[in-house]
Amino acid sequence: MFRKTLQPQINTWLDKRIPPATDFSLNLGNIFIFPSRFGMLYLILCVALFVLGTNYQNNLILLLGFFLLALFLVSLLSSYLNFAGLKIMVGKVAHPFAGDSVSLPLWIDTSAQKHSAHGRLHLGLYGEKVQLSVDLDRLTNPAELSVPTTRRGRLPLPRVTLSSYFPLGMFRCWTHLRFDRKVLVYPSPLPCPVITYSATGEEESEGNVATGEGYDDFDSLTEYQLGQPLYHVAWKQVAKGQGMISKKFSSTSNNEVWLRLASKTDDELESRLSHLCFMILEMENRGQRFGLKLGDNTIQPGKSSAHRHQCLTSLALYNNEHNDG
Amino acid sequence: MVRLNPSAYNKAHLLLTLVLCISSFTLTEPLETWILLIVCCATIIRFSLFMNWQKHQISLRTLNLLAILSAIVLATFGWQLGLLLGMLNLLVLASSLKLMLLASRRDYFQLISIQFFLIGTGLVFNQNIAFSLLYGALTMMLLLSLAFHISPVNTWSGQIKRTGKLCLQAVPLCIMLFLVTPKLGPMWQMPVGKGGETGLSDKVTPGDLSQLARSSDLAFRVNFDDDIPVMSERYWRALVLEDFDGKSWQVAPFRERIRQRYQRTNHIFTPRTSGPGIAYQVLSEPSKNPWLFGLDLAVTRDNTIWQGREYQLISRYPLQSGISYRVRSYTQAPLLPDVELLDRRLNLQLPEQGNPRTREWAANLRQRHDSDKAFIGAVSNYFQEQEFRYTLNPSPMPTNAMDQFLFEDRAGFCVHYAGAMAYALRLGGIPARMVTGYLGGEMRGEEYMSVYQYDAHAWVEWLSENGWQRLDPTALVSPLRLEFGLQRAVEYEDSFMQGSALSRLQQLAWVNELRMLLADMDYLWSRWILGFDRDNQEDMLKALLGEVTPLRLALAGAALVLFTALLLAIYQYKHWLVIRHSSPAYYYHKGLRLLERSDIERPRWMGPQDFNSLVQQQQPAHVARQFDKMTRCYLRSSYETRDDAEQQILKKRMRFLLAKLKKALKKKPPAKRQGF
Repeated sequence: MFRKTLQPQINTWLDKRIPPATDFSLNLGNIFIFPSRFGMLYLILCVALFVLGTNYQNNLILLLGFFLLALFLVSLLSSYLNFAGLKIMVGKVAHPFAGDSVSLPLWIDTSAQKHSAHGRLHLGLYGEKVQLSVDLDRLTNPAELSVPTTRRGRLPLPRVTLSSYFPLGMFRCWTHLRFDRKVLVYPSPLPCPVITYSATGEEESEGNVATGEGYDDFDSLTEYQLGQPLYHVAWKQVAKGQGMISKKFSSTSNNEVWLRLASKTDDELESRLSHLCFMILEMENRGQRFGLKLGDNTIQPGKSSAHRHQCLTSLALYNNEHNDG
Repeated sequence: MVRLNPSAYNKAHLLLTLVLCISSFTLTEPLETWILLIVCCATIIRFSLFMNWQKHQISLRTLNLLAILSAIVLATFGWQLGLLLGMLNLLVLASSLKLMLLASRRDYFQLISIQFFLIGTGLVFNQNIAFSLLYGALTMMLLLSLAFHISPVNTWSGQIKRTGKLCLQAVPLCIMLFLVTPKLGPMWQMPVGKGGETGLSDKVTPGDLSQLARSSDLAFRVNFDDDIPVMSERYWRALVLEDFDGKSWQVAPFRERIRQRYQRTNHIFTPRTSGPGIAYQVLSEPSKNPWLFGLDLAVTRDNTIWQGREYQLISRYPLQSGISYRVRSYTQAPLLPDVELLDRRLNLQLPEQGNPRTREWAANLRQRHDSDKAFIGAVSNYFQEQEFRYTLNPSPMPTNAMDQFLFEDRAGFCVHYAGAMAYALRLGGIPARMVTGYLGGEMRGEEYMSVYQYDAHAWVEWLSENGWQRLDPTALVSPLRLEFGLQRAVEYEDSFMQGSALSRLQQLAWVNELRMLLADMDYLWSRWILGFDRDNQEDMLKALLGEVTPLRLALAGAALVLFTALLLAIYQYKHWLVIRHSSPAYYYHKGLRLLERSDIERPRWMGPQDFNSLVQQQQPAHVARQFDKMTRCYLRSSYETRDDAEQQILKKRMRFLLAKLKKALKKKPPAKRQGF
């Protein structure tokens, strides 16, 4: 409750304190450190031992209490230095469809300093639960966090929280990193009848695809050639050990079609973009050459994955009021 | 609900279990047996989970049932235990039940904290060197458990090394904290464990002390500042017993009530002293009783000790752990009664019946001897003339004990003599009381004196015009007891240390030597670790700071904080030195920074080789040549080195090249640049 009202202030403060960057090496500027819940309990324990020792006038109990307190201090620095040895970079992020989660690969370099970092590192999105814990002594890079997406457009990466309790769990070292990277989120595909247009602009409806028939015009098997899409590989034959064999489809042949936004009115824009997204994927699946007309933007027909990306990108960014870059 | 096994091969849980098990078994005396059994069960359950013999945790319902049952049992039988033992039992019971269920992180951390506290409680009961070392080891195990909990994949040796290092780093800080933190008095009265009281008690029946005389446990140690009193003057007063009921002597209840009233109003008694004083420090062993020891008229300034009006030192709290206190004794000063009427009335009180022969005998004597001195002399004569025997094995005297002792058995221990004497004096109208304490003490060289339980003794004090006078009837019967201690006094009957292996071992020289060595270590331990008190602390501060003024204290405080910070920084010196001298890369980057000053900067994306060719184009030849060498050296160290030795050579070469580059850059005169 209290936190909620303060959240905007905290966020601006965080933005100033830890500005977005492409990679981070953890240091004094971006590490927070505070006794963990156990640390608090431990301090209470030290006080309890002090009281016990004083009341029984027992120096050994006092010594035990002071020793634990001294250990607390020593572990403060050791905890910080262990955490400060880390370097974090963000890897290549895929393009998700809105509503899907995208996996955010974090590359963690533990040996930035002479002594490498140890202990478990807990990762999660800022303000949310810890998603995964990696052991720095047995690290396999990258550590992948999943980031949920809600809408199309360029999504700035959320803050990522890394925390560690090394060495004795008395202190929690943590940091909230914001990576200076934006994820392009495609609209979510929404199944619908595929409506294509010829080059001249005539409508050629092809019926509801949800029934899923008619387009899979299997023709023959051919030798797989480098560059052919993997989903054309005839895996059954490959599994039989007949070598890489690819299915050839008859419809992957000739004519170009065009896709376009049904009407220019803004109502139901999102769902129409989603339909369009579905159609693009459909065309891609069929291996059909297609072009896209989207407002003033015209993309010439093609059928490579780069072409698909170009089309989907333009969908993602079309009239996007949230598009800030 | 099926609970999965979080303990399988979990070293953190295993260590925690071991610690609970071991620390419970060091507390067998205060803990109930059935609780120890539950601890055993928990240990077995956890261990089989660790080995993965058992795959599932015990179900919550079973555990709740067990918990309810044990709570009922503890509530029913725990009342008699008293607060301290009750709490301790509850703590162990709760942690062993929790251990059976241990699953979440929160449970684990709670248990760890409780274990630390349990170790602290263990130190209330056991404080000798061996136990302290054991508890130290248990603390280490707990820390190790924590380390495994935080980073589970590490190896044993790695964890031990890392945790050990942290502990070693903590030790100087711990000692510093211990030395400088002000020693406070107890904040409130803590409950004391019942049972296990050792040493004297506040009620003495003839025959009691002879049990004590067979114990070779240490009672206390004394550390004299300069003069050491002779053997026959070592009367350590502890308790003054003024109430006699015909059978046993005890502290007068009325005296006790007055003391409590005075204590409430904090009405402190300052004895009048005269003559030379002997200063010494007493290190008392934990006796769980409040009474302390001092020679004759002993005065202390320690405000945790109450100065009794019957010349008795009483600690304000029972000695659950050993304490040390400083005392000054005035052996020649008279023990003047505070309120003479009260002392007189208390010490003439007699039971109305019993011991008819003694009454008759005392009345006869009194008729013949008018003066007090003469009467006392007559009673003493009786002890000397009739052949009394000093023995540790007196026959039991169920009824009319005095009659039987004085006229039939004529054999007894110091309590018999003192009791009979005081009784006879009271019958003769002379105020007399029994004092118990210790007589003697064994010097260890010139260092310290040890007083053992077998030195326990009882004697008589009678009230003269000149205050209370000591009278020891045992000395009349057995002068050896006074001069050479109990061992010689009862040598003839071989009852001393009956059946103890110690007496036989004492004959072997080297065993004795070893025993003495251990005793010395124990003395140092008690004196400097267990007995480190406010006086020691003040002495130390004085030695360090000279006069203690607020300014100096403030400065010292600041110095301590600085020292702590410095210490912490030194511990991590490697970290601060890391970049320096670390690698050829360091020198390469330094070279880059040098070049930046002469306006050529490597873009982030550019590799060293590309940048080198850029430098070759843009910089004067002698600079470029040096940088070329540097780049090649750097590349070799980064990609081609085979071992450390080669890396070392490259490092040296890089340092050399860097110096050269610096020189070359400095040598870049404008004239040459024009020529370029």
